[in-house]
Amino acid sequence: MNYFLKRILEIIPVLLIITFIVFTLVFIAGDPVALLLPEDATTEDIAALQAALGLDDPFYVQYGRYVMNMLQGDFGTSFRYGEDAMLLVFERLPATLELAIASILVAIMIAIPLGIWSATKKNSSIDLVATGAAVLGKAMPNFWLGIMLILIFSVTYSIFPVSGRGSFAHLILPAITLGTGIAAEMTRLIRSSMLETLGQDYIRTAKSKGLRTGIVVYKHAFRNTLVPVVTIIALQTSTLIGGTLITETVFAWPGIGQLLIQAVNNRDMAIVQACVMVIAFFVIVMNLIADFLYQLLDPRIRYK
Amino acid sequence: MEHALLTVNRLKTYFYTEAGVVPAVDDVSFSIQKGEIVAIVGESGSGKSVTSLSVMGLIEEPGKIVGGEILFAGKDLVGMSMKKMRELRGNQLAMIFQEPLTSLNPVFSIGNQLAESIRLHQKKNKREARKIGIEMLKKVGIARPDKVYDQHPHALSGGMRQRVMIAMALSCNPQLLIADEPTTALDVTIQAQILRLMKDLIEESGTSILFITHDLGVVAEMADQVIVMYGGQVVEQADVYTLFKEPKHPYTKGLIDSTPKIDEWKEELVSIPGTVPGPFEFPEGCKFADRCPFVMDKCKAERPTVTKVGKGHEVRCWLHGEKVVDLNERASFT
Repeated sequence: MNYFLKRILEIIPVLLIITFIVFTLVFIAGDPVALLLPEDATTEDIAALQAALGLDDPFYVQYGRYVMNMLQGDFGTSFRYGEDAMLLVFERLPATLELAIASILVAIMIAIPLGIWSATKKNSSIDLVATGAAVLGKAMPNFWLGIMLILIFSVTYSIFPVSGRGSFAHLILPAITLGTGIAAEMTRLIRSSMLETLGQDYIRTAKSKGLRTGIVVYKHAFRNTLVPVVTIIALQTSTLIGGTLITETVFAWPGIGQLLIQAVNNRDMAIVQACVMVIAFFVIVMNLIADFLYQLLDPRIRYK
Repeated sequence: MEHALLTVNRLKTYFYTEAGVVPAVDDVSFSIQKGEIVAIVGESGSGKSVTSLSVMGLIEEPGKIVGGEILFAGKDLVGMSMKKMRELRGNQLAMIFQEPLTSLNPVFSIGNQLAESIRLHQKKNKREARKIGIEMLKKVGIARPDKVYDQHPHALSGGMRQRVMIAMALSCNPQLLIADEPTTALDVTIQAQILRLMKDLIEESGTSILFITHDLGVVAEMADQVIVMYGGQVVEQADVYTLFKEPKHPYTKGLIDSTPKIDEWKEELVSIPGTVPGPFEFPEGCKFADRCPFVMDKCKAERPTVTKVGKGHEVRCWLHGEKVVDLNERASFT
């Protein structure tokens, strides 16, 4: 367990480095004051606001102040909304997590059966259809699929709401939009690792024991492909938390993605920083969870 | 006379690859009596493993049994339903493999894998299966079997894992055990232990063994009957004494001569000239013609038929006359 304690402590320097990178990038991007004041503001007005916000200080002073505040739990105040930036991010976080988890579930429900199926029936018509569907799913842009789904299921047949967040029905179309894209990649991965596993000596042993094909495939083979599957699920989940912007926009989903892009446009430094911190935190945590699961899934993997 | 436990009759297993049809097993016949150890000897690619997998019904695409019959306890395994075949497999018909390191599933405990066939074939519950499993581990000479039962394969050495494989194969008291080079991957000392163990265990239970190997030393140690395969065909079969004393086929002679003997001084080890041809490169006549020091014109033109040269001693070679053995008699050569 010491290993994981060490890994958790490692999160702190990683997050610090991330704050520095993001802070520098936002600093380079320019002065938010110009966007906050009306166009006819005088030079004195600008200077006054810069001084009030501490933006006239040198870079290292600003960064130092930022880090010190952060260590005290203060991630800064949004220029735009005048509220605590982290609170704004936390407001949006449930929506993002909800969509991310729903999308991953859609992907898993499609990819696992399809991947196993096409591996066990290699080169059959099922395999060809699954491969074709995977290529199509990978090639279809999310915004296009999202709009098509809205057109068919919301506009034409009125089965699901067009956009927004609220009921379970609101979740379905965006989750399918994101989930199918991930399922495409996941299906390919599961198929290829299943094919590799099915060729292993221990599969032959399992067959020689007279076990049913179902047990050979699902117990002996699939269990051994779970490590790559967990890896891709962890990777995709962290991607979803940070980057569902396009789908969020298409479905007017009030998640972090939308908040982040607006903040970037407004040079709302505190929110950008807070968003990136939260996203980075989830990426790190997902990796940690994946590493932890590897141990449970494969007894040969033991961290020291 | 009692019926043989296993009679393989004119078995043909072909592989339909993109490059062409590979006759991996081409007209192979032999039989195994109850309690007997029969060894199949041959180089890599001689068809010995494919023969054993055919008996187990584990030939996979693009391979296919295209002819012949495999009679096990009177029933033909060729064309038997998957369900019936599964009932035999792991139960009356068990197999151990060459690679103990990779033949056990790394993510399940020894006990889990050992109990699987016991629960399936003997209809035992988890606790009973555990008891039988631990008993089996003890039988194959594993110290602290109750501890090993809960361990994962990676915690065991190659020799231990092969013992586990043997325990697994014998857990349902099979009538026939197929051992495909079970000791090839092991150290020589462990090899001897494993062979002794197998011999002891089957003496107790009356299990027959089909022993696949390329090692003549192991053959001399283990076998009652020997089948020599080359290019997917049986080139010679005899009881172990006759085969070593009077090998008739030039290939068998070559194999025996190329095994170093402790009481003989040789400047240089004898070896059979050339290598086993690729699947599509076998000569038209006798498959061994290209490498045979006694080759005649006839050998290059015509495939040799099987000749009976002694009691239970058959050879597929033109050097030994043309008396064709009646194939129907062959099952009873012992």
